[in-house]
This record gives sequence, structure tokens and C-alpha cells, in this order.
Amino acid sequence: MASLPSIPGELASADVASGVVRLTVREELYPLDAVFAAAFTFIKDCWVVVDRADAAHWAIALTPKAAGADAALLEQWVGGFANELLACAYRHRLAKDHRATVEAVTTAAMAGALGPPSLEELEDFDFSNEAFEDPLGIAMSWEDKYGKKAKAGDAAPAGATDDDDGGAP
Amino acid sequence: MKALIKVGYGCNDHCTFCHTLDVRHVDAPADEIDRKIDRARALGHTMVVLSGGEPTIRPELVRWARRVAARDMDLGLVTNGRVLSYPAVVAELLALRLRYVYLSLHGGSRTIHNRLVRADAFAETHGALAQLSGHGLDLKVNCVVTLQNVDHLRGVVDAVLPYPDATLKFSMVEPKGGGAALFAALSPRVSDAAARVVDAIEYGLARAGAGGPRFAHGGFPLCLMPGHEHRFADLKTDRFATMIEVGEPDFFPVDDDNKLQPDAACAGCALAGPCPGLYRGYHAALGAGELRPRVGGPRSNSFDYTLEATVRPSPDGGCPVLRIGVTPWDRGRHLFVAHGDRVARFRADSRDFNDAALAEIKHARGQLYLDRSAKDAPDDFARDLIKLTRSPRCAPCPEFARCTGLYEPVADAGFERDDAIVRGWLAALTGDVIDVGCGADDRYDAIFAPAAAAGRLRYVGAEPDPARAAARAAQCAWGEVRTAALDALTERGAYDHVLALRSWNHFPDADRALARLVALARPGGTVIVVDNVAFGLARTPAQTARARAGAAGFEHFRDDDSHAVVRRAAAAGLAVLDHHPVGPATSNQWAVRLRAP
Repeated sequence: MASLPSIPGELASADVASGVVRLTVREELYPLDAVFAAAFTFIKDCWVVVDRADAAHWAIALTPKAAGADAALLEQWVGGFANELLACAYRHRLAKDHRATVEAVTTAAMAGALGPPSLEELEDFDFSNEAFEDPLGIAMSWEDKYGKKAKAGDAAPAGATDDDDGGAP
Repeated sequence: MKALIKVGYGCNDHCTFCHTLDVRHVDAPADEIDRKIDRARALGHTMVVLSGGEPTIRPELVRWARRVAARDMDLGLVTNGRVLSYPAVVAELLALRLRYVYLSLHGGSRTIHNRLVRADAFAETHGALAQLSGHGLDLKVNCVVTLQNVDHLRGVVDAVLPYPDATLKFSMVEPKGGGAALFAALSPRVSDAAARVVDAIEYGLARAGAGGPRFAHGGFPLCLMPGHEHRFADLKTDRFATMIEVGEPDFFPVDDDNKLQPDAACAGCALAGPCPGLYRGYHAALGAGELRPRVGGPRSNSFDYTLEATVRPSPDGGCPVLRIGVTPWDRGRHLFVAHGDRVARFRADSRDFNDAALAEIKHARGQLYLDRSAKDAPDDFARDLIKLTRSPRCAPCPEFARCTGLYEPVADAGFERDDAIVRGWLAALTGDVIDVGCGADDRYDAIFAPAAAAGRLRYVGAEPDPARAAARAAQCAWGEVRTAALDALTERGAYDHVLALRSWNHFPDADRALARLVALARPGGTVIVVDNVAFGLARTPAQTARARAGAAGFEHFRDDDSHAVVRRAAAAGLAVLDHHPVGPATSNQWAVRLRAP
């Protein structure tokens, strides 16, 4: 394995004889969805393997499909992958942060496209929750009307009742 | 069937006896009531009755009414009626299928009513009656009887007389909430209150027109309402099946757990089935000394479970009862029967048995049968009835004890098996035999006749009903038949064997009957007592209607099981030779063989 001049050795290494370059990245910075997205852009030109290096890192191996890759070419491939990975991770974060906004806008757009609700759909809809007319103030609780609270000692606690006959309605 | 939904406990009155005094500040969120209305529909209810507190002071009232109607249910209200004094509100609710109103009017005058509700409410509540009457409603007017109005009940009658479509009900104040806290100040003696209620009802009946109003009572032991026992009314008679309090997750059956029938006073009372008994709080405070149990009087020994609905089987093959919820179904009164991939739901609305008795018959004794006959009353149990037993699927279920259960029909020869025990005893008899209460029953003649012909046995049948005695005499030329009741059989020690075959529960007085049966036997002779316990019959609505229209009358004075006979025998010093009790694995026939001293 050889190190690559422009990339720290603990992150990437190249096996020129085999034409393989390997990259190790932190899971904390690069979600798996971002790794997949970056890998997807390279599958036309490289054989790409993604695996877990350890509990905190992803391992990516790139093997250019064209023969004769030297160290410089391998460095270009791995450098390009690193940049694509950064871009994918950033897009992933943006999508996550703006998901609710996007969904709301999309829903509104689709609802508008469907046109106004039909009369059938309105049949079950309650247009108001307004009380009936109560000019005499009858529908006011006893406590509100008389400005009193029931005395704590008025009565013992009462639980659920199965028969209202002998008590309040 | 009705579902009762408590929408909250706030109220524009403040009754002295309010059940929910300490939770008057609690109101259910509107969407909780929405969900409960939907659940009531899903459970198959046909009416939602909103109660509280006072449901009409909720601003969502009309919206809830609209929701109930949109789900094809009728609406009911338990209310003080004050808001219903507005004609426009009544008109709107009537248009939204208001069909039942239970209105509280506690006095016939402003002075009495307002004193009890502690608000200036009489004009509005009484005015609501005028708004509600004449619209075809099931209109109930409830008057809670307390020390404050017990002397003024005729005044309530006068206030309701102009409304012939109303039913005025007098209810004993319940010691609960305010009624418990102020018990001494509010609660009259139940016997005094009952007498005043009887007076008010009779006063009303003398003045009411042919069309009404009608009169009812609740919360009074029936023994205190002579002549008016049939006027008893409660949630069940008003066809309430379930109810739900604020915050409860699901509906529960209405029950009578707040009342009791003290054994010492009520055991053996002929009114025990339909009687509400005493409020537990009243009994705890003042005891049962005012009760006057009725001895004698025939009663039912069966009841009907009538088909209500079919239940969709669970698509995953799971329990259909668990799928729709355990709590809304009454353990004694509801019955789910599975047969193949179909499940049927039945309900018993019998008032011949109280809730505890129904649950005992169903769960402890296991005496449930599917009636496959076209008769008013099945008379050949082995052919007419198919036994129903708790499904084996219930056994491992954690809800087993709480659930009403899933039942299945089983091929069971229990009637033949249990009767074979009796036939075995009878086949061994020799000497003088008397068959007390023999009726016109020839089922054991294949045993008796040959033995009589061979001179091993002398048969005497005794039957008090002349027609049956004559029919029996025509059957058994090989024996003697007398037209005589047990009390008329005055011989002493005249028989080797005394039989009471399905006549035990027909004897009016069990202790007296046992003494008479034993007296007929020679020393060392045997007394054989066989009878049936009460049972439930699952029937279609047509079968139930036919049975209720039939001429079959009650003939039993008790529903004794074998243990009741064994207890009496032990008390009388008799040896029990054999005892075959009833249980879920048997038919409903029990048998006891005793040795006369």
C-alpha cells in the first residue's frame, strides 16, 4: 500500500499494483445515505465497494474500470470521491432541514391542483361550533353565574355512577 | 339500545344531592365526546344519551346532536331542562333526532324545586315540559325524593298532569356525593318515602286521563311499593346498555353495584328478581329493618338471550370479542356464540333475574342453551336444547375473568346422562313408593310399570292439579293416583321411598316441604329430590316474541339448586346418600338422595 501525497495517510491509501484506492471516513460526518449517493456517481467508471470499517467509520474501495491506473490517477479518483462525498453530505443535511417546508409546499400545490372540495365532501363537515342563542344566560354554570365555588366540605367525593335516578342529571 | 355519555360535570343547577359534587369543574374535551359518539355507533347502539353534569350548557350540544344524527342514531338528554325552555333549541334538537328526554323536576312549585336545585330554575325547567310535550318524545320527568320534598309529592304530580305524554318517576335519593355528605339532612326513611310515593302515584292515577301521564318509581325496594311493583324503572328498563364517564377509555355496561339485596332480609323473596334492593349507603346507615320480603308467588326458571347482531369474525382468526373490546359487554346479559366462522351476539333483558343471578347461571353453573325448537317453552330438553359452553379459546386469555366470553354449541348428552343417574336410583326401588307432584309425566313408567306388575313396587302418585292428576291416572292403571297437594298428604311413615321429581321448586315453602316429605317416609326410607336450576336460552327475536306471547306461566316458587336441599337436610339431621349438583359440565338437572331418620 502506498500513501497519496495530497491526502492524509490515515484517510486514504493506494495499491497501485492492484489499481485500488481505499478511503476511510467518519460515520459521524458522513451519513450512510451520503456515502451511497457519492458512490452512485462513481459506478459508471469504477468498481465501488462500501463497507463498515469499524463502529465509527465507513470504508470505501474504488477500482477504476480502465486498466493502467497509476498513483496519480488513483489520487484523482479518491480526491474526486472525497469532494463528491462532501457535497452529498451537505445536500443530505439541507434536505433534512427543509423537509417540512417542502412537504407543505408540495401538499398545497397538489391540493390546489385537485380543485375545490365537492359538496359531498362538505356534508360531514361541521362549519361551526357555536352555541345556541342564550339571551337569558341559562347555559351558564352555576359557579360562573353566582361567582361561587362549591365548598370543599360540601360533600364527600363521588365516583362514577351507573344510575342517575337518585341524584343529579 | 342506548349509550349514556357523560359530557362533563359542570351544571347550571347545584342540587343538594348532586352525585358529582366534587368534580363539577371537570368537563370532557369536545373531541373526546366526538370519539365516544363514534364508538357508540361502532358498538351497535341506536341512541346516544348525553348526560353530565348538565349537557345542555355545553356549546357543542348542537354539533354533537348533528354528529349523532349523521351516524344514524337517535339522541337523548338527561337534563334539568332549563335550556330546553328555549323553543328554538328544542326545535333544532328535534330536527336532529332528539327522541328521549329525562328531565329533573324536584318540586311542583318554585319554592320546593328551587330549594333543592339551589337556583332560580323552576320556571325554566317546568317551562321545558311545555316545549317538549307533544312531539312524540319518550319523555321522563324524574323527581328525587328527599326530606325537603317528601311531603310535597302531590304537587309534582299536579305540575306534570297537563302533559299526558310524560312519565313522572319518583326516585329515592341516593347516598352518593352530596346525597352521602348530607345524608341525615336529605334522606328520608325509605319506607316513609315509599309510602308517600305510593300516595302520590295513586293521587296521580286518579286524576290522569286515559292517555296519561304515567307514573314510575326507582330506588325503592319493591316490597315497599305494594300494587305498584310493575312501575319500577331504571336505566335498564329504559334500555340503556352502556355508559361512559369523562376520561374513561371505553364504555361499560350499566350495573346495579350501588345497590344490594341483604341476604338476611331478601333471601327467598318472590320479588328478588326485578327488585333494585336498597342503596348500599342507605343499608350501611340504617339497615334493612324496613324491608318486608314477600314469600310465595311463582317466578321464572328461565330467561331469554335474544339475538341482537352478528359480529364480523376477525380477519386474522383472533378473538372477535377481544377485537371489539371487552368492557362494553355485560358479563351476565351479553352472550357471544361462535359457530363455524360466524359469531352472533345475544342479549338478555330479563327482569326476572337480577344481574348477579344471571352471571351465576351463565358463568358458575354454565346453564346456557340454544333453543332449536318452535315451542313457546321447550319441554323435551334433550331434543329441544343444544348446550353452549365457554370456548376453549377463552381458557388462556388474560381477560377470561373480566370478559363476557365466547361460547360455542357442543354436542352433549348431558340431559340423558344426568337423568340416567335418577333412572338408576328408581330402578332399584322396591316396596311402597309415593311420587309427590307427579304431574302428568310418564317418563319413568318404563321403570315403574314392570316393577308394579311384578309386585315389587306399589306406586302412588300425588298431584294437586285435577286435570294433570286425571291424565296421570289414565297413564298408570298399574298404580294409584291421588289429587292432592303435599300438605294434604297427612300419612306418617307410610312409604319406603318418597319422590319429589321436578316438583321441589313448585313447593311454596321449602323447609315445610322437606319436613312433609320426610314425614311420609318410614324410618330408614329414602327421599329422592330431583329438580332443575334456572337456565338461559339463546333465541331469535321471533322465538323470544313467540315465547313471551305464549300461555306458559310461572310454576316455580324458587330456583333452588341441590346445595339448598343439602343444607336443609343437614339442618334437619338427614343423611345425604347421594348428591349430584349442577355445574358447567352437567345439564341443569340436579339430584339428591336422602335417608329418612
